[in-house]
Amino acid sequence: MQTNDLYRRLFRAALLIRLVEERIIELYPSDRIQSPVHLSIGQEAVAVGVCDALASDDLVFATYRSHGFYIGRGGPLDSMFAELFGRLGGISKGKAGSMHLSAPKVGLMGSSAIVASTIPHAVGAALSFKRAGSSRVAVAVFGDGATEEGVYHESLNFAALMKVPVLFVCEDNGLAVHSFRHVRQAYRLPEHAATFGIESRRIEEGWDMLAVRQATLDALAVVRTGKPFVLEIVTGRYKEHVGVGDDFHFGYRSAEEINAWKSRDPLILDRKLVEELTPQIQREIAAAIEFAERSPAPGRAELLTDVI
Amino acid sequence: MSATAKKHQPAQSRILSYAGALLEAMDGALAAHPNTFIMGQGVDDFKGIFGSTAGLAGKYGARRVFDVPLMEEGMTGVAIGASLVGDYPITTHIRADFAFLAMNQIINLASKYRYMFGGIMSCPMLIRVIVGRSWGQGAQHSQSPQATFAHYPGLTVVMPSTSQAIVDMYPQIINRHPGPVVSIEHRLLYNLDFSVSASATPIPLTSYVAREGRDVTVVATSVMVLEAMRAAQYVAERVGIEVEVIDLNSVSHPDWDLVAGSVRKTGKLVIADTSWLEYGVAAEVCRQLMLRDPTVLRQTPAMLGMAAAPCPTAKSLEDIYYPSQHETVDAILTQVRGSGHGIELPVERSMTEGYKRFKGPF
Repeated sequence: MQTNDLYRRLFRAALLIRLVEERIIELYPSDRIQSPVHLSIGQEAVAVGVCDALASDDLVFATYRSHGFYIGRGGPLDSMFAELFGRLGGISKGKAGSMHLSAPKVGLMGSSAIVASTIPHAVGAALSFKRAGSSRVAVAVFGDGATEEGVYHESLNFAALMKVPVLFVCEDNGLAVHSFRHVRQAYRLPEHAATFGIESRRIEEGWDMLAVRQATLDALAVVRTGKPFVLEIVTGRYKEHVGVGDDFHFGYRSAEEINAWKSRDPLILDRKLVEELTPQIQREIAAAIEFAERSPAPGRAELLTDVI
Repeated sequence: MSATAKKHQPAQSRILSYAGALLEAMDGALAAHPNTFIMGQGVDDFKGIFGSTAGLAGKYGARRVFDVPLMEEGMTGVAIGASLVGDYPITTHIRADFAFLAMNQIINLASKYRYMFGGIMSCPMLIRVIVGRSWGQGAQHSQSPQATFAHYPGLTVVMPSTSQAIVDMYPQIINRHPGPVVSIEHRLLYNLDFSVSASATPIPLTSYVAREGRDVTVVATSVMVLEAMRAAQYVAERVGIEVEVIDLNSVSHPDWDLVAGSVRKTGKLVIADTSWLEYGVAAEVCRQLMLRDPTVLRQTPAMLGMAAAPCPTAKSLEDIYYPSQHETVDAILTQVRGSGHGIELPVERSMTEGYKRFKGPF
């Protein structure tokens, strides 16, 4: 295993995501989190590799499965747990919850539970960056299912026409809830992108944080010249679509495919580094949960604030 | 129809068409606010959204005023993203019906952005949609979606009925209003001339009294405000009935106390809206009065709106689909004098005939 500083940094961020989500799994039966959660376990390397490649003032627009990107961008843990718990100390005072995580101070804009709906937001931010003559880029993060929505097509076309600095990152876990890609897609993403003259790259090694990071850096080099880019990263969703359980017993998919992912998963393989980093991370998580539990629930005064 | 308005205007007023007022508002916004841009299908073409953006691409350049592909949802999402990083987008839909393609972004994202994220982000922007009417617009070029938009908390919905409303309100909206605004403009008004004055008290983003009267209240929206003003003039000249006309103006944030106060004074009410009555403006006006004081109404109000069907294209049907001037006057007279009022009604039956300058097609 590699032990250089870069690898340790990425590994630590990925481990933080996994341990946070494993803590969420433990907490979930207690009903402290009274809202749907969509876990990124298995997909951490995508969030970590992409986020590490970005400049601090670049913006990410993501989805309802965004715990990974929130942490990857450096979002504070205390206000994350408070948000999940529906408390006033949450990043959005508890009004957002897991599905609408954001951390604009560290460049994660509002996440949406409507599939594909934040893709054009990234294009719009990129348009503004271009208008301002800025070197910033915007990143749209979405699942493979989102590419079936019309607005994905609209967004690529507009981004290509306007030559805006946007990176489209597809987290390809092959599943839309319980539906496999072969029943959903009559196209291949790189060829679709090429139709618009948009360069793309497919990364099969979605467990490899360094590979994802390098691919993102390479893509960003293109994007910062004012060209959109599609980065398709193959990954594996270990848990059920929504909720904290496994879903292999339902029989719609086999554990074998995910076991193949697990057999390459550095967060499983690198036991030594896991053991070394876990205690400190667990202390951070415990402190964040303590903060969240101390934070009051929003009262009636919050019900009608910030509507307009 | 502008004659009534002109009579009440001070001497320093000028004549400005509705489209001209829009062009002035767009020009003024681009000049005053470098972060403002306009995008929409055809905003930079030779027609320039019926004149309301004509010449602005040449004046401000393609980075400020630009055409977009046919992508209503994508365009609105792009506007949200641009707004989130500090730009002020103005989007256009040459028919309000096309905005239904953008409903996901307008309803699920824009209207909720500030609240859903706890007030830490917002996406102020102006969405201009245009209602079509007459000349066979048919079922999909004629819808007036104020009730739809105003139903969703988080949106501010205005329906400017005159050039004055545009000149006064748009500068309060663009780059100033904290959230997304849907302005429902009316195509029939575009070519009409209005008297406009520089007022010390501009028309606010809420309701206002367009004409004072003591006998009956007419609460109206958009082009129905003009219809109400014409009817008010007719009944005043014919039988001395004084109609109070309230332009609801902001459908999302009306001044209900103003409406209730007027009805308390007159005891009689006609509601004249540009859309369907079912679950619409008329229903909301009645709900608000019931909540405040059911006794302000001394009789059942009259309600004028589109017939409860999709809009037919045939002129013979279209003419009876919308409330006519004849029906508006009859509703007012019936409120004041009862159904056997026996007063002669105006002969004109088609509202379109009253808009002589409009020749179509759109």
